[in-house]
Amino acid sequence: MKGFPRTRRGLAVAGALTVLLAAAGVGTWATDTWPFEAKDRYCWGAWEEDSGPEFLGDEAFAGGEGSRTATETALGPRRTTGRCTVAIHTTDDDDYDGSRASEDTRVVVDYGPAPRGAARRMEWINDYLGGRAVPLPDGLPGATDGGHGLLVLPKRCDTRDGRPTAVTLDATATSYSGDRSYPGTAGLGGSRSAAELMVSIANRAMEKTGCAPAKPLSITSPVINLPEDRETYFERACRIRGMEFDQESARDLAYQVGTVGRNLQSCSVSTTGRDEARIFDALMVSEPRLSVLFDGTTGTKAAAHGWRGTGVFADGYKVVRADCAGRPMTLLMLSPSQRENTPYFTAFTNAVTGRVGCAPVAPGGSDR
Amino acid sequence: MTDTERTEHTDDNDRNDTERKDTGREPAADLPSWLPKQRQPWWHWRRLTRGRWRPALAAAVAGALLGGTGVAWQTGAGPFADSRACWGALDTDDVAELFHGHTDIDASDTPITSDRIGSDGSTGTCVLKSPRGAQVTIRAHQLDPRFGGAADQWADEFLSARMTPMGGGLLGMASDTRAWLAVPDGCFGRPPRNDGPQVIDIDTGWTDYEDRVDTAERDLLARTAVRLINHRMADLGCKGTLADPGDRMPDPPRFQAEKPGAICGIEGLSLPKGRHDVYEHEPPLMTRGGGPVRTCDRDVLFDHPSLRLMTVEDPRLSVLYQRLSLENGERITTPGDRDGYGFIGPDFGLFQAKCQTGEVTFLVRADDGRHPDDIRKLLPRYAAAEADRIGCGPLRIKLPA
Repeated sequence: MKGFPRTRRGLAVAGALTVLLAAAGVGTWATDTWPFEAKDRYCWGAWEEDSGPEFLGDEAFAGGEGSRTATETALGPRRTTGRCTVAIHTTDDDDYDGSRASEDTRVVVDYGPAPRGAARRMEWINDYLGGRAVPLPDGLPGATDGGHGLLVLPKRCDTRDGRPTAVTLDATATSYSGDRSYPGTAGLGGSRSAAELMVSIANRAMEKTGCAPAKPLSITSPVINLPEDRETYFERACRIRGMEFDQESARDLAYQVGTVGRNLQSCSVSTTGRDEARIFDALMVSEPRLSVLFDGTTGTKAAAHGWRGTGVFADGYKVVRADCAGRPMTLLMLSPSQRENTPYFTAFTNAVTGRVGCAPVAPGGSDR
Repeated sequence: MTDTERTEHTDDNDRNDTERKDTGREPAADLPSWLPKQRQPWWHWRRLTRGRWRPALAAAVAGALLGGTGVAWQTGAGPFADSRACWGALDTDDVAELFHGHTDIDASDTPITSDRIGSDGSTGTCVLKSPRGAQVTIRAHQLDPRFGGAADQWADEFLSARMTPMGGGLLGMASDTRAWLAVPDGCFGRPPRNDGPQVIDIDTGWTDYEDRVDTAERDLLARTAVRLINHRMADLGCKGTLADPGDRMPDPPRFQAEKPGAICGIEGLSLPKGRHDVYEHEPPLMTRGGGPVRTCDRDVLFDHPSLRLMTVEDPRLSVLYQRLSLENGERITTPGDRDGYGFIGPDFGLFQAKCQTGEVTFLVRADDGRHPDDIRKLLPRYAAAEADRIGCGPLRIKLPA
């Protein structure tokens, strides 16, 4: 104990130091900061290892060994589009029948505008807003189904040609056992967690590209409504009059009602087979920032006789935009081009305007 | 921290009393007479509290105290024990607010637990009692749509016309005597098709059919319900907090005069000829604002409506009537059951329509079965009018002969 402070003051200082060190130690341990753990960061530094969702934590490697790697393209004031990918590969040698089991998870984030071409853009929009997607909490313009999602950024991030910039999130997971493969779950942690992941990307990317708003985007609320289950054995798709199928053809079909709200509504019909082939996807978008995604694709004149507003009936998609009680409403129907789906699109449109309570957009709609 | 500091000072004082001059040696002569007059082993506290071990021991004691305090703080024990009521969701101020500022409220709760065998969901009760007799009962439970469940009775009280929807997409309502709110779907999923939602409801015990709903009291109950749900979500490990719905809630309902031929303000809705359309006792009371439920309670006498017209828009609540619509009275059918189904009896008629938003229940109920023709006259018109209003029309119901 040579060199140990011998004076009273020395002792006091030593005691205080010990207490301080202990407190600091407990603090760093409790908050998982250095030197107890060094965290990796991914996607322009927006996501942190172990920050919540499974795919960012050790749970991602459950049952075996694994690695998590991330790649990203640079973002900056002059580089306003970018992509980041987080890939997780796990292997488990101890599979009971001796074969190797493995799992691949990929989470892809894109930062940039919607696709320019109209046909591709329709698919892109429907992919994120249709199906089982629910609106993001706190009125943020976007939607997610927990596996993928879209968030449209504020106007100041628009591209020079006026298209809005968006953050998209796409997660896929595949399990391999022997020479078979199965779809897996990516572990984003549900719809709210997916929304949070997009918000943190948006804030970081907007900072880097120089269009960050004064107050960063944030989420406080939970997701309040989730969509109902997919329905088989039906006559009337999505319970909408005029969307009837005869028994024979409906036998192998299922419908999915997505969101049914003021800003967003979707209904999709597909085959019940493994490929879930599309019969049609119907979508209504009335949220102002999401509506902007359709800008430049809805033509300059009425889509067809009896339709209000402007629209385009093209091969593979039909899109119509009209005013609905003072707000722009865009209606979209995607279906394989050999199918004649105008009656279904008409029925969907009339159901939406009837429910929301605005003047009919499609022929035959009733005014209230 | 203060605890630790105080203890340390005490240590110092003790030490100063027993050894005025620190010589670093063993002053055996200073020892009290009851101690054995011999050198103590190294581990003896007296040896440990002096000499070169002293700072190390002091630090160890300080560390242990600090750690203990930390643990106490974390687990809410000892001086950190909180007096939070109702599963820890409400602090003293929140409780006082419910009793006009009184703080002498007795709280007792049974924890929210789930029955692993049955499918009853989790239940728990919290009772807040004031010595002056006022009582607030808070229940966490799953609304039970099964036969023998109390869904109908619950609906009677918690979906009455005095309630106002909380708005903002929330599955919840409030009045100045009652409030209820469902756990958001995002927490543990949408309730399964034939199950009711998990809710927390607040009941102040009073059944009141006075005209005026006290807005401040109503907002307080709504705020308390949100607090309870936010706490419940945190307990379940769900992220996110709901905001106070008070600001966006519409005005509470008021008794409103009817025009002839427009029962509950619905044009073209009237009673059979010979039955006078005008109310006998009070004008009808109608829910305001778009929400999970619109209720019109008409001719309220002794706290009981003699006629209730109700539209349950949210399919998660509509499920409460599913069994009723299948089991009681004469069936009402539509071709292929495509539009929905229902039943009609002398004092009760309901129809569950298949709408874009899900199953919607239209209900007409009288206090007694003395006027079965009232139900038969009202139900088809009421359902048609309300279906049009919510975008589920045209709905034409044909009653069984």
